[in-house]
Amino acid sequence: MPDGPLIVQSDKSILLEVDHPQSGDARRAIAPFAELERAPEHVHTYRLTNLGLWNARAAGHDAEQVVDTLMAYSRYPVPHALLVDVAETMGRYGRLTLASHPVHGLVLESTDAAVLAEVLKSKRSAGLVGERIDDTTVAVHPSQRGNLKQALVKLGWPAEDLAGYVDGEKHAITLSPTTKPVYPGEDAAAWEPRPYQAQAVDGFWHGGSGVVVLPCGAGKTIVGAGAMAKSGTTTLILVTNTVSARQWRDELIRRTSLTEDEIGEYSGSRKEIRPVTIATYQVLTTKRKGVYTHLELLDARDWGLVVYDEVHLLPAPIFRMTAELQARRRLGLTATLVREDGREDEVFSLIGPKRYDAPWKDIEAQGYIAPADCVEVRLTLPQHERMVYATAEPEDKYRLAACAPGKNRVVEQLVAQHPDDQVLVIGQYIDQLEELAAHLDAPLITGATTVRERQKLFGAFRSGEISRLVVSKVANFSIDLPEASVAIQVSGSFGSRQEEAQRLGRVMRPKQDGRTAHFYAVVARDTVDQDFAAHRQRFLAEQGYAYRIVDAEDLDVVQ
Amino acid sequence: MAGSFTEWVRNRSDDELLELLAARPDLGTPAPSTLRSLAARAASRTSLDRALSHLDAGTLQVLESLLALSDDGTPARPEQVAAAIGAPEAGAAVGHVLDDARRAALVWDDADGVRPTPGLEDVLGPYPAGLGPVREGEPPAPAELPPGAQPILDALAWGPPVGVVPAPGTGPRRAVDALVEAGLLIRSDARHVLLPRDVGLSLRAGRTHRTPDLDPPRPEGRTVPTAGADAEAATAALEIVRQVARLITSWDDAPPSVLRAGGLGVRDVRRTALLLDTDEPTAAFVVELAASAGLVADDGEAPASYVPTVRADTWEQADDADRWAELVAAWTASRRTPWQVGSRDEKGTLRAPLSPDLHRPWVVRLRAAVLDVLAAQPGTALGPDEVMTVLRWRSPRAVPSEAALVGLLREAALLGVTGAGALSSPGHLVAAGDGTRATIAAALRQVLPAEVDEVLLQGDLTGIVPGRPSPGLSRLLDQSADIESRGAATTVRFSTGSVTRALDHGRTGEELLAELAGRSPVPVPQPLEYLVKDTARRHEAVRVGSATSYVRAADPTALAGLAEDPRLAGLGLLPLAPTVLASSVPAAELHDTLRRHGLLSGLEGPDGRPLGHVRRTVRLDRAAWSRRPATPVRDTSADARAAVVARLRRATPGSDGPGTGTGAPLGAAEPSTVPDGGTPDRASAADRDGPPLAGTVVGPGTSEPGDALALLHDALRDGRTVLVEMVGGSGTLVRRELKPMRLEGGRLRALDPVREAELTVAVHRIASVEPLD
Repeated sequence: MPDGPLIVQSDKSILLEVDHPQSGDARRAIAPFAELERAPEHVHTYRLTNLGLWNARAAGHDAEQVVDTLMAYSRYPVPHALLVDVAETMGRYGRLTLASHPVHGLVLESTDAAVLAEVLKSKRSAGLVGERIDDTTVAVHPSQRGNLKQALVKLGWPAEDLAGYVDGEKHAITLSPTTKPVYPGEDAAAWEPRPYQAQAVDGFWHGGSGVVVLPCGAGKTIVGAGAMAKSGTTTLILVTNTVSARQWRDELIRRTSLTEDEIGEYSGSRKEIRPVTIATYQVLTTKRKGVYTHLELLDARDWGLVVYDEVHLLPAPIFRMTAELQARRRLGLTATLVREDGREDEVFSLIGPKRYDAPWKDIEAQGYIAPADCVEVRLTLPQHERMVYATAEPEDKYRLAACAPGKNRVVEQLVAQHPDDQVLVIGQYIDQLEELAAHLDAPLITGATTVRERQKLFGAFRSGEISRLVVSKVANFSIDLPEASVAIQVSGSFGSRQEEAQRLGRVMRPKQDGRTAHFYAVVARDTVDQDFAAHRQRFLAEQGYAYRIVDAEDLDVVQ
Repeated sequence: MAGSFTEWVRNRSDDELLELLAARPDLGTPAPSTLRSLAARAASRTSLDRALSHLDAGTLQVLESLLALSDDGTPARPEQVAAAIGAPEAGAAVGHVLDDARRAALVWDDADGVRPTPGLEDVLGPYPAGLGPVREGEPPAPAELPPGAQPILDALAWGPPVGVVPAPGTGPRRAVDALVEAGLLIRSDARHVLLPRDVGLSLRAGRTHRTPDLDPPRPEGRTVPTAGADAEAATAALEIVRQVARLITSWDDAPPSVLRAGGLGVRDVRRTALLLDTDEPTAAFVVELAASAGLVADDGEAPASYVPTVRADTWEQADDADRWAELVAAWTASRRTPWQVGSRDEKGTLRAPLSPDLHRPWVVRLRAAVLDVLAAQPGTALGPDEVMTVLRWRSPRAVPSEAALVGLLREAALLGVTGAGALSSPGHLVAAGDGTRATIAAALRQVLPAEVDEVLLQGDLTGIVPGRPSPGLSRLLDQSADIESRGAATTVRFSTGSVTRALDHGRTGEELLAELAGRSPVPVPQPLEYLVKDTARRHEAVRVGSATSYVRAADPTALAGLAEDPRLAGLGLLPLAPTVLASSVPAAELHDTLRRHGLLSGLEGPDGRPLGHVRRTVRLDRAAWSRRPATPVRDTSADARAAVVARLRRATPGSDGPGTGTGAPLGAAEPSTVPDGGTPDRASAADRDGPPLAGTVVGPGTSEPGDALALLHDALRDGRTVLVEMVGGSGTLVRRELKPMRLEGGRLRALDPVREAELTVAVHRIASVEPLD
């Protein structure tokens, strides 16, 4: 096809021309094996990675299909070396399989004796396998199932895990057709999972274990609930923090047959173990005298399903614990497979391959998450502040720039432009936030705010009782603020892409009236603040959100 | 027989002799005196060896077969040979082979048939085609085979015809003995038996070879569509041109130095690899290629560096295809072996790119052969093993080295002569060897992706060129953006750094934006616009220049008109601000000139304070105090003096009374410094540094270096003997009584009265001198 929408580069990146009539078909065709790297307005960049190709293999695609797809949609001849490489890489998956042997228990089998020999010779696999049964089979100690898989990915021979799972303790869970009110004033309403959520659950269940990638605000909790209902067993849910744990609990009560008594919280403040237990990463990773004190939670019940929320934040110790949970079904939920620490391969080997992925923009196009308007407001600092900034110590510069007093006025102006919206002001520095809260006459939530107080304020914000809320970075993760339609970011933590995704997620929830969400970043011009902002905005642009830059002086024209 | 070959040579026509000399050039140099000597030379082992090394397996097979058939002196006909090699239908082909061989005087003929040239047997022997020697005497009468004999005969049938005699008393031994008895084997020595030729031939049913090998092998290979090969070749060609261009630019800025033995140092290779974003072998190839094309060369200076040549300038002006054709032409003619870079020679030295060591005359021939093999199978990708199979058939007696073959194939791929392992369309022209630079360039132009003159600018500050950027666009993007990915399309990213680069090249922000807008089918995204504008605003906000001195005044009117005053033109005055002028002459001259023109200027120090109003004062100040007031001034108080004396005393045990001052042992820490008798400054320096080193080590003899010399001078004058302490060869101190004889040029010549010997000591080795009473 001389005029296809794809250009395949020899460095394994794939360029997709968005405006091409066939771009939709091409996108769907390459989505199973190529990772979307960035999605600006005209040309999207995908990348072929080993993990991506193995994910595709795990999902039942073969190399021939991948090669055919690339050739079919490519505008120019596809580099030959790349095609060879794709075939080779994909051929490596599944040569080794972990299986359950009627006599020897868990075994590692290979269709290729040479591969098995190579793997067994390596230092990485030493001590993980047991006796050699024959040329193509070797016994594996059940406790090393995860470690072995990890080692095999590192060796470039990922194993397919067909050894199955323990059934776990039965516990009937069903999705309720109508929501059960959790807060006073909430009404029961009929609901059902969205099509992509149902697909995600099916994809996961079919694959056994694995990761579901859905953008912030796309309802990952419901995918979790769906998986639990499918499983019908006791479930352990691991989440990032206590607020998120309560959110999960509320959501489960609202949408499933589970009652408050069936759901336990295992956190710093409470240690309940119930058929469905929600634990925080933090409590699991707490060490006392060098020992993880809460490890027994993992064996406290015969869990039939383990759900990991925000897999991309999963701390390293939990990976190690997960290595020993390989006989249980595992579901990972995340908005991005990109980990800032580069441990993507551990997610792949220990939790499982990607089972479902829906591009952000597609879900937005379906109307499930709100379209967003991203604006960077550039504030020119007055002469005397620039002087102070110029002479400041390097380590103080970001703080100085981020907390420029002029930002208060800009925020005020922005808030004034959205009188009817729920506005969230997000920042990093408490002094600045306190000042802002006073300025806007809005309540403030920081790390020091008690959970009870937080929930009260969130509740009030949700119900529309208050329409302005100033929050510190505690709000970054997993709190559901359904009606926040405007987010104003005044300072961030040094340009983390993850943070940006989370913050955008704050306003990405679908709006009842289909209003456009607004995301403002207020930035001091010609300072490090602007440099960090540029880094974060690159992420937005790569995610396909065109953003505008507006001078603070021209704020009147924003709307 | 030999005589007949000579006869045959003598009867050749002139044309035939010319053909012979063309086929075997070594026969003509030096010119043979007679036809007889030409014939002798043609039958000599060295010449035949050389001739055979170029022959292919098919010809060698025919010659071997002929040799085997005509060993008893009977000539053979082509049909017989064809039948013997197992291809009875190939009589004509064998005839052609023999004709060629006859032209090269490897065989000769008469009316009866063809005979091998004498001497051929020695070269192809001793067992041509694996057949044993011709039996002397009559063949035995056919008889029953002894038991166990058949396997033995079968084993020897297809050669080699030599067998080891089994141990006595075994079954096989009995069979062998019986075979020897029957005349089917010959005992060559105590341990070996031979299968005679007639037996061998009859075992082979009259054949000399199992299978004919007349046609070159055609390895399987992998089919590559022409479009695929061309696309890959085009990518490679553009890449190699870019890399050479990059190399030239970089070496223009920072020429790497030439190693003493010639070549490029390891570190420069590594740097080049980094620069070209590739591995070191590739970098070595690029360097060699650029040198072969005469684009970089040793500048011949001392110390020598590699610099771009004048040719590089013209090369850089040409378009991609022409530049590539130039490189390919240089490559086909190159006798260099870059693949050897990084390996070690016999002496264990690392072979460096561009070193004279990497020169091999056979490279051109092997390269042509490799390309020829590829050209014989168009549309097929052949790996080194497959090419080797063909080359081995082509000249079994001169098989090329594996490394060279792999190296040449890699070079062909890097250049884009091959794509995906098969010869590309322009590559076919190169392989044919008859393309001019223009036709080769035109062939490449055919396969290069279409030039694109637009770049799609995006909101994440990237740009995509969906094809090969045109030269103009390429220049623009090289200057204003960083390349992220190359290939069929080019991805670039704009950043503050890259935009600054564009501004450094003299564009303004507006111009850059206009240029980008002109080449983008979509409007310039707002973030990019802001990036360029912001960078332009800050670009050169702080400027740096050079000035030697300045004029400043609190009142702008004082300086008004100075810069424009023609009388002050020599001062090079440049107004920096209303109250500051920079000047290109030294401050004193500036001051004097301004004074002469009636301006009451004053000099100021680095701290901005006036240095004084009258010049005399300035001079006095310098004389009175050190120019650097920060230097600690020597404390001349009585206490300090006493402390000095006390320290001297402590360091000189056994002399704790006054009056020993001049006679105290003196040491020299650094005699080389000065023999002028210790200025106060020097003394203070010694005080500050604590006791001199020699003093602390030796104990006695703590004094000034100058004093030690003075003591020696005294002793020289008075003809007295002194006790000298010297640092010996192993660093230990040696004490000698010496009578100085001469002291000059940093050396002391002295007599050692105890040993009655003369010795010379470098003054800097003298640790201390003590007068002897």
